[in-house]
Amino acid sequence: MLFNSLTFAVFLPIVFMLYWFVFKRSLKRQNVLLLLASYVFYGWWDWRFLGLILLSTLVDFFVGLQLHKTEAPKQRKFYLLFSLCVNLGLLGFFKYYHFFIESWIDAWSFFGIQMHASTLEIILPVGISFYTFQTLSYTIDVYRKQLEATRDFVQFATFVAFFPQLVAGPIERASHLLPQFSRERKFDYSNAMNGLRQILWGLFKKIVIADNCARYVNIIFEGYDSYSGSTLFVGAILFSFQIYGDFSGYSDIAIGTARLFGFDLKQNFAFPYFSRDIAEFWRRWHISLSTWFKDYLYIPLGGSRVALSKIVRNVFVIFVISGLWHGANWTYIVWGLLNALYFLPLLVLKRNKVHIGIVAEDRILPSIHDFRKMAVTFILITFAWIFFRSKSVFDAFQYLKGVLNETLFTIPEIRPTFLFVLIMIFVLIEWMGRRGLYGIESLWGNYPKGVRWGVYYVITMIIFLFGAKQQEFIYFQF
Amino acid sequence: MTAFLKRIGIIVLGIFGVSMLVSMGSLWALREGDFYKPSFLVNGVSTSDFDYIVLGASTGLTTLNTKVIDSVLHIEGINLSMDDTSISSQYLMLEHFLASGKHADICVLASSASSYDAISIHISDNDYRFLPYVSRGYISDYYASFSGTAAGVSGLSKWLPMAGVGYYNAELFYPSLISLVAPQHRNRFDSKGNYTYPVGSGASKRILSRHPKTIYFKNTYLAKIKALCDSHDIQLVCYVSPLEQQEAILEQTSYDVINHSTLLKDSRYFYDAIHVNTLGRHVASLQFSEDFRSYVISESFDKLRMTE
Repeated sequence: MLFNSLTFAVFLPIVFMLYWFVFKRSLKRQNVLLLLASYVFYGWWDWRFLGLILLSTLVDFFVGLQLHKTEAPKQRKFYLLFSLCVNLGLLGFFKYYHFFIESWIDAWSFFGIQMHASTLEIILPVGISFYTFQTLSYTIDVYRKQLEATRDFVQFATFVAFFPQLVAGPIERASHLLPQFSRERKFDYSNAMNGLRQILWGLFKKIVIADNCARYVNIIFEGYDSYSGSTLFVGAILFSFQIYGDFSGYSDIAIGTARLFGFDLKQNFAFPYFSRDIAEFWRRWHISLSTWFKDYLYIPLGGSRVALSKIVRNVFVIFVISGLWHGANWTYIVWGLLNALYFLPLLVLKRNKVHIGIVAEDRILPSIHDFRKMAVTFILITFAWIFFRSKSVFDAFQYLKGVLNETLFTIPEIRPTFLFVLIMIFVLIEWMGRRGLYGIESLWGNYPKGVRWGVYYVITMIIFLFGAKQQEFIYFQF
Repeated sequence: MTAFLKRIGIIVLGIFGVSMLVSMGSLWALREGDFYKPSFLVNGVSTSDFDYIVLGASTGLTTLNTKVIDSVLHIEGINLSMDDTSISSQYLMLEHFLASGKHADICVLASSASSYDAISIHISDNDYRFLPYVSRGYISDYYASFSGTAAGVSGLSKWLPMAGVGYYNAELFYPSLISLVAPQHRNRFDSKGNYTYPVGSGASKRILSRHPKTIYFKNTYLAKIKALCDSHDIQLVCYVSPLEQQEAILEQTSYDVINHSTLLKDSRYFYDAIHVNTLGRHVASLQFSEDFRSYVISESFDKLRMTE
């Protein structure tokens, strides 16, 4: 089920009403309702894959209980490995089987040895990377004794399958989300209104910005060999906004929806395109994944408190795995490597924590110095996105070759003027709202009610009148 | 909770009301302008009695130049073709033409070669252009006769204009703003309904062979068009436009057909495999005028003339 579909527009109010009116007196029933709703939400796409979620849930629930019971290190390690094998095994099979088989065959053919392998028709289950990482965080935290294992299966199953963030995050930590399922919930008017506001802003980002950009991005990236450098540059810029609008829009809708049910999900995007260097960008982009990798991979590998050679290794490991997490294609690995190359100099020179706070926090406009840094960071990120969006590494290099020549300074063949106006308005609103959790959270907060509601109506009408046709969320494929 | 639900109710009602107003305004603006063919026919065409009309898809739109045909044969016609449409859309256009109080003696159906046999359960890509007139029964009935989201949304627009305008916002709302500011602005067609593709830079190349393509005239809407024409004393002539790579072989049919599929022998006349460019259009329109002359002066046509 897509957030930007009519089905969801019917589904959400029904679940909301049942949750707050019919089952409001029983926490257990509310959780059961959320679990059923989550399975309906996921099963709407393909009910057969509910079995995978259920399997992950059962394994980690069981492992959690066993870890709670036993103190013997060997046994504890065994249970952890069992959970890792099952979860990563499923992820590996469904997501990476073809990639590894094909890469293996390609590698041998490079040496002149032709190999053949039978291929399977494997469908990638939507959101498998997200819920796998979420459930793994539970097992690892229980193993580390940072979290107590839950004995309530319904609570745990709902934590794994919680529909607002099931298929595209934010990847919640068990220590943050799981306890919320055992807490009594009371309807909070201002929290619910805040949730609605965030949903509205998420829909704007997705339907108006991302989906409109997608129309041009698809055309330009499909036929990149017939466009000038300037058009390809426009295509790359538009993809930067598409992926941001698409993914952060989804996160906003997810967080807003969770608020309607009295849950608090973590911020996933913190205005990443206002970052002044790559390190800051990675603290602001897909925060739930970055911190997951930091806590469960980077720090266990030694983080940055080891010898320089190991720091370099750790950074490359993190970024390459992060790339691979996004998809089974060399393009994502090169994208990860490129980001590692961007990031490494800052880390080695110990300049990776220079920009911690909000840019131009006390000012309306950024300084020229900050503006220049933001622009350079954005351009670097945009160039990396070319690898992310291209079908193959070869296509990405050809695209780059197409950008970096004298035609870069010609007038683009594709000039979506009105879309650029919309993007400028969007950037302006995000800039003004950068101190909040999302663009319009605290914006116009001091203005009279009429003005604020007028603005929300205008945003709604822009979605209605300028929104593009329904497109799937990019991150569903991950 | 009650306060929240009250507020949500007010918001939803407000959004609903504003959306309906904007949508109705948008469809009204389109109805008042000449932007798309259906409204151009109503507002931008003063003639009500034509010697002929051209109904078709992009092939009809870009091949038959009614200005050339009119000047050669000293008759009056108009091109009502729309790109990305099928024969069902052309049937709807004929209904719309007649319902708008207009009449023609001959209807030239210039659909694409493949359309004559195609059967689709979905509406055509550009059928939304009739949405400003969705309150008219024949248009809402047309949408209702198809399945799919687009047809459903379009049909629903009779009662809920916001459905169609929301679904086709880029195609309807932007143009409605243009229509509001410049009602006489037309969407890529001239005052006689024609459009042309530019001449490309490709080298001239003799076309030596073409793949045969048999046309059986099986499309059920073709029979409907014929019946509608007959009931209004309109003679129907089917036209197959020039093709670069195919030769239309006509299966024995009761329809009058002018087959120009092999008319142009050089690739310089083509914009792509099924569309001619400005050069090709000129040659095809001149040849069409010659072939069409016999219909214009035919006995039945004269008879029709006399009864008028």
